[in-house]
Parts: sequence; C-alpha cells; structure tokens
Amino acid sequence: MPETSRHLSVRNVSLSFGGLQALNDVSFDVNPGEIVAIIGPNGAGKTSLLNCVNGFYRPDQGSITFEGHEVTRTPPHRIASLGIARTFQNTALYTGLSVLNNLLSARHIHMRANFLQCLLYWGAARREDIAHRAMVEEIIDFLEIEHIRKAIVGALPHGLRKRVELGRALAMEPRLLLLDEPMTGMNQEEKEDMARFILDVHEQRQITLVLIEHDMGLVMDIAQRVVVLDFGVKIAEGVPEDIRHNEAVIKAYLGEAA
Amino acid sequence: MDMAQADTLPKRLIAACQKFGKQQVAMRQKDRGVWREFTWGQSYEQVQRLALGLMSLGLKRGDKVCIVGDNDPQYFWAQLAVQSCGGVAVGIFTDSTPPEIEYIVQHSDAAFVFAKDQEQCDKLLTVRANVPAVRSVIYWEAKGLWNYSDSWLMSFESVQALGQQLNSEQPELFERSVMDGRPDDLAIFCYTSGTTGQPKGAMISHRNLLATCDQTVQVDPRFETDEYLSFLPPAWITENGLGLAFHLRVGMVVNFPESPETVQENLREIAPHALLFSARLWESLVALVQVRMGESTWINRILYRVFMPIGHKVASLRFETRRPVDLGWRVLHALGEVALFQPLRDKMGLTRVRSAYSSGAALNPDVIRFFRAIGVSIKQLYGSTEGQVHTAHIGDDVKFETVGKPTPGMSLKIADDGEIWVSGGSVFHGYYKNPGATVSALVTDSEGRRWFRTGDAGHLDPDGHLIYLDRMKELLELAGGQKYSPQYLEGRLKFSPYVRDVMTVGGAERAFVAALINIDFGNVGRWAEKRGLAYTTFTDLTQKPEVYELIRKEVEQVNRTLPAAARIRRFVLLHKEFDADEGELTRTRKLRRNLLSDRYGEMITAMYSGADAVQVRASVKYRDGREGTVETSVRVAALESAATVEDSSR
Repeated sequence: MPETSRHLSVRNVSLSFGGLQALNDVSFDVNPGEIVAIIGPNGAGKTSLLNCVNGFYRPDQGSITFEGHEVTRTPPHRIASLGIARTFQNTALYTGLSVLNNLLSARHIHMRANFLQCLLYWGAARREDIAHRAMVEEIIDFLEIEHIRKAIVGALPHGLRKRVELGRALAMEPRLLLLDEPMTGMNQEEKEDMARFILDVHEQRQITLVLIEHDMGLVMDIAQRVVVLDFGVKIAEGVPEDIRHNEAVIKAYLGEAA
Repeated sequence: MDMAQADTLPKRLIAACQKFGKQQVAMRQKDRGVWREFTWGQSYEQVQRLALGLMSLGLKRGDKVCIVGDNDPQYFWAQLAVQSCGGVAVGIFTDSTPPEIEYIVQHSDAAFVFAKDQEQCDKLLTVRANVPAVRSVIYWEAKGLWNYSDSWLMSFESVQALGQQLNSEQPELFERSVMDGRPDDLAIFCYTSGTTGQPKGAMISHRNLLATCDQTVQVDPRFETDEYLSFLPPAWITENGLGLAFHLRVGMVVNFPESPETVQENLREIAPHALLFSARLWESLVALVQVRMGESTWINRILYRVFMPIGHKVASLRFETRRPVDLGWRVLHALGEVALFQPLRDKMGLTRVRSAYSSGAALNPDVIRFFRAIGVSIKQLYGSTEGQVHTAHIGDDVKFETVGKPTPGMSLKIADDGEIWVSGGSVFHGYYKNPGATVSALVTDSEGRRWFRTGDAGHLDPDGHLIYLDRMKELLELAGGQKYSPQYLEGRLKFSPYVRDVMTVGGAERAFVAALINIDFGNVGRWAEKRGLAYTTFTDLTQKPEVYELIRKEVEQVNRTLPAAARIRRFVLLHKEFDADEGELTRTRKLRRNLLSDRYGEMITAMYSGADAVQVRASVKYRDGREGTVETSVRVAALESAATVEDSSR
C-alpha cells in the first residue's frame, strides 16, 4: 500500500516510563474513513498510544505518520492544526467557560485575523468571527445542545460534558478524531445517544475515528476494525467478529485459567 | 379576499397575505442561535408548493394526513397544505410510542404521514407493515436520515419540488383548490388521550376553529403587533386555536422555540403577549423564584423582602377589596416596579404579557396572588378538545374559585345530574368512526341546538361564573343520592396555608360529608404565637378552640362555593399528622383511604353519631422504632346548617 493512502500509520512504537514498558513495538494502520477501536484490559497502554499519536508523549522508538507527514516529534498544537483532534477519558474542558466559548476555543487554530483587526472588529475580522460562530452553531445543532449553549460547563452533568467535549473536538474540523472512552460513566440511554452521534459524525462528516472503549457490545456494533493491546503489546487486530473468537484476546481478558 | 369572508384556515392565509402584506414577518424560528424570519409571502409559498406537491402525489379532498413533530413552521405549513387540498390534518404527539402511532395512523385512514425527523421516521418504519395505506412519509429534518435509501421516505423539499412543477403547469390550481373549501369541511382530528380504552378522534371543522378564535378575540383582543411563542404540543387543540387560528386572524407573529428544551430561554427572549401554562407550571415558577431568591445576592434578597409585601398589599387593594390605592402605596409600588417586579417579570418572559392563562387543575390562590403582586394577572380557562374554549375569566372579572364565564357565543347549562353542557360554534362534529361515542357526547335539543356533554361536573355561582368540580365519574354519592366531589373539597381546603392534609368521608351509607383534617403545624403554630396562644404539643395545638375556629372559617369558605348537600358538615382536627412511615400516606403523599378509614374509625363514627368529642387511643411509632400510645380527647366540630352559612356570608 502506498504511504499516502494510509491515513495514520503507527510503526514499531515503543514507550517506557522508567522500568515500565508501556508500549512495546506496536504497529497498526488506519485507513481514511475507518472506525478503529483500540481495546484491552486496564493498563494495556491504550491511552499511552493515543497520547503518542497526538504528541503528548514522544515514543522512545518507532515513527508515527499522518497523511504522509512525520508527526512523531511534533508538538501537540502543531498536530492539532494538521487535522487530528481528540477527547479525553476525564473530560478536559474549560469548566469556567460557557459551552459556546469552549467550542469557540477550538476554532483558534483556524483564526487568521491579527490583533489590530480584532481590536477594531472590522472587515475581515468581523466576517471571520461570524463564520466561526456559524460553524460552532452547526455543531451545537448537530449534537442537540442548544439548551446549554450559554451554560457554564462546570455546572453540567457528566454525560453532557462528554458531548460538549466531542463538540469541541469537532469544532477543530479534524480529519482524524481520537476518542478516549467517550462513553465512560454514562447510563444506557446516554451511551446510545453518544453512539448515534459518533456514527453520525462518521457518516455525515466523513471523519476517520480511532476510539478506546470498554463497552464490548458497543465496540462490536460500531467499530469496523479492532486493535487489541495487552501489557503494551499488540496481541490481535481484525474485524470485530474475528476478535470476538480470538483465543489470545479471550485469555487476556479472562486470565490464564479460562 | 376579506378576512370575514375567509371561512377556512387556508382562505385566511390568503386573506392574511393581502391584509398584513407579503413582506411582513409572519413567523420566526430560532435556528443556529439566531431568530430567522419568515414573511407572509414565504409562508404562502411554502404552503402552496407543499399542497401542490401533495396533490401530485395523489392527495384527494377528504383524505387524512397525520403529522407528528415538534413546534416548527413546517408543522403549520404541512397542516395548512393538507387543508388547502381539502384534506384533514391529524396531529400526533411526539412522545407517542410506535404502537400508539400505528393506532392513530390506521384508525384515521391516513394517506400520508409527516414525520419530523429520524426519531419519528424510525417509529413509522417499525410499524410500516401494519399501515399499508400510507403512501409516503415526509420528513422535514434530514439529520441522520442521509443513508436511508427507503423510497417510502420523502423529504419536505422533494415534495415541494413536485409542487413547484405542478404550479408552473397550472398556476391557478392552488387558489382554486383553496376556494373549493367549505367552512364545514373537517380541518383537523384531535385524538383525545382516553384514560380508558383507545383514544377517540374528535372531528373538528374549519368553522369550529374559526368560531373559537372569533369569539375569544372579542373579550381578549390581540393585535398584529403581538408576539406569540408556540410551545404547547401542536397536536393539541389549544395550539391550533390559540396559536394558528389567531395567527391567521389577527396577524400576530408566531415564534417557534429552538428546541423543546429551550422554551424557557426563548420565552424570555420573545416575551409574548399571550400565553397559556398549566396550573402546575405556574406553581413551579413561583417555587423557582423563591429558590433562586434564596441563592441570590444579599441585595436581591433585601429587595425581595422589602418589595414583595408591598406588591401583595397593592394587589389585594386593587383586586380583592377593589378600593382605590392611595398615593403613598402607589409611590412605594412604583419603586418596587423598578427594583423588583419588572426584573422578575423579565426573568420569566412576562414583561409584555397581556393574556396569561392557566388551564388544567385548579390554581392555588396564593399563586395567583404572587403573580398579581409582581403585576401579572392570571386568568383561568376551561375547555375541552371537543368544545374548545368553554369559559374564561374575562377582563378583571377574576374569581379564585371559578373558571370564569362562558365566552361570547358559547352557551352553557348544568344538566339535572350536575353535568356541564356547552353549545356554540366551536362544538365538534363527533368522533371519527365511533358513532356510539358521538351519540352519547352530542345531544340536539328541541330547538335544534347541539349540546356537547362535557362529562365534567360543576355549577354556576350567583354571578354566573362556573365552578368546576371534577370529572362526573369521580363524584361520589351520599345516602340521599346527592353527589359531592372529594377531589374538589380536599384540593380546595389544601389551598389554605393552615391545612396540610384532608380526607373527606361520605359515600352511599352516609347522609352528609365529613372530614378528617390535619393542620399545618408550622403555619398554625406561627399563627398561634402571633396571637399569644400558648400550646405545648401538636396534639394540644390541634384541640384549641381558637384553632378550631380558624379551620372552621377555611371550611366555610370552601362550603360557600358549593350547593348545600355537597358541603362538609362535621370535621375533626386530628391529634397527629398523617405519616408515611406508618403507611397512612404513600411516599408521594397520597392518602391510603382504606387504612385511614379503619384507623380513624372511632372518629368517623363519632362525627356521624352527633357526639361532641371522642376519646382516642392511637399507637404511634417513634423515629427510633419504639412504639407508644397517645390518649387524648378529640373534639368534633359541627358546622352551622347550610342556610345560616349562606346568611353569614352576606
């Protein structure tokens, strides 16, 4: 496969914290328009892997390329402007700001007007401001959060915060979206809503998705391909149906005795 | 076309375009955070294209079309388009389950269904096999439906594109079809939420809808410059009458909320001139203000504490004693207006409200007083799907215990058994495919007047105001055959701040109504302290003659609104409070009547035997789990006979 047609390519990535080997020679590819799930028991290295992809961690060895660009040593904010957005396991929003301002903050990478233009709020700066707000309003409509547009994020329940965080990631207009446990701590109805939003994001916006999720039912329903990690090692990769019956995966989840 | 000659809703749309101007704003909807406007011209064009689109899909005069969706311009356009073709629009509530939708779609013989979005389309797809008569499902919000390839689903725009084409071929077809409409053509079916059995489809004609509007506007004028927020379910008759019909008649701008969750916020932005809330909603607004005030800054709390009593004082002078307010009070009130009343009204979106209505359950007088104090006069409205608006408080003629007088053009009478009958232009045409129910609901008298039997019980007070009691089937009968309403008696008594719970006793073995009353310890306690009335325990307080006198006045006030036979004749003030821990109440504070009748049997017997007092021994469970007994004497209060009560009230 030619290098450019691979959206994201992770090659032989290893990462250690002191004596702890978090990732050990992990390789996998994500094709444009795919939904790939990364699963594995607690401490398997899933979040570390995402952190390597969006530049929070620098791998000790190996390389990561996104659309042909080497991003292994690129700082996170540069990676964000290349088109990779992410959400966090424990939401990382500006809790003191309104939902609207949280979403607008994601537009920062797309803002072009300079200080003086913004000061005068005239011409291009004004047009740009309106365009960004319109884009954010599209997302608010898409995620059905009109009623909390002006609410302060700190006062929102967990399920809605997760939705706002997805909204902020979408406001960056990414081509690749990394979701770290988008459904933790949600009840069944909230999970179903979230799953519907994720599928809609994928369908309507043609965004490639990589997600970490523990709810196996959901993973099997929405992922097209699954990568399984255990103690930092990739132990399996394939379509959900194969993963379900994979001996190594069952062993990793249920232990040796099973 | 003149508005008066426009005798169907679509004709009124054409007349409205001429009268108010095609460039004038007719509707607004908040979308992507901005209020977007639709002019009368745009409304007309939307309806025209959609109607012609439906015609090219084969909709015939008299066909039924179901609509399930939230309050959106598209809902009203769809309804008017269907009616322009001579069809009947059948509203379905958005929270209906697939089987409920299936029932209405099947029963109404719908040829098409408008379904707002993916959620509603999915429901229809689930029941598709059982509704073969439906030719297409038309949606107006495409989100999530991009990948549905089913040709049964069509978009609003694709139907309108068909209409556009037909319009270019036959440009006069739309208006000709509208002009073919007759006032007695059926306009909508409203399926009533039957508590027993399947819902019934009330058939309502254009004449019915326009009659309500023309009658109500005489006593409650609306203007072209008025704003209205459409948030009641559009499948409900009220939104059709007070919303759409008024919009077409007087040209008020109809605003649509951004989503059902943003109604409260949008209400504040629009500050409508007319609105209708359920009694429950008015009550919760008061509670909300009180809670928010408690959490507010100290300066706000002080303003609230200083000016609320002034608001109450001035309101009671104006509305209750109806005396002129002297200058001092007026100055203070003007200060309050700036400091408190206006800001409070603004928070609730009530700054411009002229017609504030409450419907559903009876409204607590304290809630009415609260809103009067901040400058909003709430009026009661009583009506039904079948007869629309029956009575309302007109102008300043507001009485707490009534639901007002019949609106002009409505006649009202109380049948011999106490049932309320109404007659007028708004009375419906019967239930669709249910002649049995139609015959029992509609009666034609010897003069040829059609009366609708509401199934509600009530009576008229000396001023011609209607006092609504309850549904007929909820009334109970006394030994002499007279009827009384436990719900009314208990509900009204509980409006008193001094009464916490009431259980009425009566039934077919007893000659009159008696009541077990629980006083409100906090309020009665404070009342006693203010008067220097010493008491030791709850039990002691309940048996004070002064407290009996206090409660007697409350009972008499309720009695005064009732015919003699339905009044409370004897009551006791219970020595202990009803307690959910002892199983006397459910956790939601509903009375466990059978258990209470057993437990307080001696008192009930005493009330009917004419005794003055009764010795009671009751076991009580203390909080720490121990059991004990309370022994005390409980007095029985007898109220004066009906005639003397009548006298004392004069």
